[in-house]
Amino acid sequence: MRKPRTVMRQWDWSVPSSGVYREVLSDVPVGWADEPRNMRTPPLLFIHGIAHGAWCFEENWLPAAAAKGFASYAVSLRGHGGSGGSRTLSRTLLRNYVHDVMQTITELPQPPVLVGHSMGALVAQLVADRYSPRGLVLLTPAPLTGSTPNLWHIAKQRPASAGAAVVGRTLPMTADQLFPGLDPATAQRYVSRLGRESPLVQYQLLGRRRIGPVRGPVMVAGTRSDSLVRVQDVERTAAAYGVKPTWLTRADGSAMGHDVMLDAGWDIALDQVLDFVTSKVAP
Amino acid sequence: MSESPLPWAVIGAGPHGLTALKNLLERGIDAHGFERDSDLGGNWNYHAENSRVYESTHLISTKPFTQFPDFPMPDHYPDYPSHWQVHEYFQSYAGHFGLYDHLSLNTEVVRCTPVGVDAADGWDVTVCDRTTNTESTSRFGGVVVANGHNWWPKTPQYPGQDTFTGEIRHSAQYKGAEVLRGKRVLVVGAGNTGCDIAVESAQNSQSTVHSTRRGYYYNPKYAFGRPSDQTADLLLAMKLPLALRRIMFKTTLRLTVGDFTRFGLPKPDHDFFETHPIINQQLVYYVGHGDIVPRPDIDHFEDSTVVFTDGTEAEINLVIFATGYLAHFPFLDDDWLNPTGDHPVLARQIFTPRFDNLVVSGLIQPDSGQWTIAHWQGSLIAAYVELMRLDPARAQEFYRDVIEQTHVRFTGGADYKESTRHYYEIAHQEYLVALEGDLAVLERVSA
Repeated sequence: MRKPRTVMRQWDWSVPSSGVYREVLSDVPVGWADEPRNMRTPPLLFIHGIAHGAWCFEENWLPAAAAKGFASYAVSLRGHGGSGGSRTLSRTLLRNYVHDVMQTITELPQPPVLVGHSMGALVAQLVADRYSPRGLVLLTPAPLTGSTPNLWHIAKQRPASAGAAVVGRTLPMTADQLFPGLDPATAQRYVSRLGRESPLVQYQLLGRRRIGPVRGPVMVAGTRSDSLVRVQDVERTAAAYGVKPTWLTRADGSAMGHDVMLDAGWDIALDQVLDFVTSKVAP
Repeated sequence: MSESPLPWAVIGAGPHGLTALKNLLERGIDAHGFERDSDLGGNWNYHAENSRVYESTHLISTKPFTQFPDFPMPDHYPDYPSHWQVHEYFQSYAGHFGLYDHLSLNTEVVRCTPVGVDAADGWDVTVCDRTTNTESTSRFGGVVVANGHNWWPKTPQYPGQDTFTGEIRHSAQYKGAEVLRGKRVLVVGAGNTGCDIAVESAQNSQSTVHSTRRGYYYNPKYAFGRPSDQTADLLLAMKLPLALRRIMFKTTLRLTVGDFTRFGLPKPDHDFFETHPIINQQLVYYVGHGDIVPRPDIDHFEDSTVVFTDGTEAEINLVIFATGYLAHFPFLDDDWLNPTGDHPVLARQIFTPRFDNLVVSGLIQPDSGQWTIAHWQGSLIAAYVELMRLDPARAQEFYRDVIEQTHVRFTGGADYKESTRHYYEIAHQEYLVALEGDLAVLERVSA
């Protein structure tokens, strides 16, 4: 899976990504706005997954992390949430998402810890291939080895969902996959906020990707009952970085759904992320 | 190496100094930068004494390849940003990566002295604080020289030049068009600066003569519906051979501008890609409008008249020599950077055979944007210094291997015209492939 550092990026040079309006939601602790460079804790930049948007972090994690002293930012990738680019979503590629995250990073006062969820975790790894973040947190990460087995896994349970993705429609996702621990009303509210995904990106996710050497501490976390990103996917990603996976559970010990920032137990999951940042990311 | 290794010194806080500093720090190597001006930016710090940008300077390469790959320019910057935007960009880079804490401004390096045999014990770097005018010396494990090579003017001498009654100035002293107003101007030199000034002169002066030693290809800033450097890189990405790329670019010029010689411009005596590219869409336009009169090389000066080698004459009262710059390292001994003829020849444009802990960044003139290469030079230097600490034997092995390739030039298959402007010319794609290989060796990742 490791490859040498990529210097030659001729497609980036010759066919650069366009820029679109970016929605960046943030919640920062008192004092950050005045002296952002002197803060001991690094900023956190959250990157969402398929069909989600920055809103999924705004709901719980941004305010909770800010209350614990972390400047927290979440970007909506193009065509998602409040960002522009929805009209060109059908021809959007992963490298456009990488561009959106890189642009967001350069606006931060110091290098962030990247926290990516699902497809956002893959984007975070692609970003880390060109930019050294202070740390890398991969939550229920889309596997670098390609999501073809995952699609097959979905097809066995929900053939219609998998079929939709195969023909280029956005992969349908349900409340019991994403946040089975929530009450139906809240769950329905979140499901209704899900948007579209780029069909080309969904196809790109099926393929294998290699990334170069990554500096800085890495945390890989998953849940044992995730039907989208399987236990072995999380284990494999963790092994690629030489770390042990963290398994996220609710207070009663039950495993969370795929959306660890929304499902019941999000507060415990966030604490584990913040513990990692506090203990492993050099101040 | 001792228990606590000495920090590295970085001379200059232009783009190459900044990337060297950032990459060293990122790998946990203590490093400190010195900048003689009160602000960073080097050449792009317009108000600095040694800045050679002028009011209207814009990049001649577009963002994607010119920017640092790990810190792209903002989306709202245009294809060809201005020098003001470039300076702001460098400031935000330094701020984001916390470089100001590792940078002494207003501090000029006056002398580097090797300590021990072949600088085995490091370097004593003597600096002058320009606010208090006091000198001090501290010891470093190694030195990155990034003081630029476009600031020390190279001025030609022609017969009768000393008795010329008009004004003569080098483009180094050109900051804006106001000096041109009402003048009969002669611009000498067809580098990108010479062409820029000739165009500004056409817009502002009474009359403009442009003297060049040879004919050049004046490339447009846009070709095939996109910035022309991106088109060029697209053709490279498609792995089209040099001959085919030459035909395509020549055909494009032929179909758009047509034959240069129709305007009285000399026919190029060389092939495409054999001289540093001139990116100027406006020059031919003003020649075609008669606002720039092209002339060959100067033969001699006579009072207020300039006589050219074709026998023509022009009445001139302001001569601007846009004749380029020479590399200049006032704080080093002349023989430390492997001088060959009158210029240093370095392995990978970085390493000198003389010392393994004295490296140069920025002694390059790429046929494309520069700061992507600045980043990778800094990255390579930092990986090398890191390996010196982790595994000195392997670092030595790398150094010896690379020094054996000192003669290797990265021309992309073209045969550059012999000229001081091509001393440091590199074909970016070939050069970066070499750096990519070096990084793989240093970071021991099997390719």
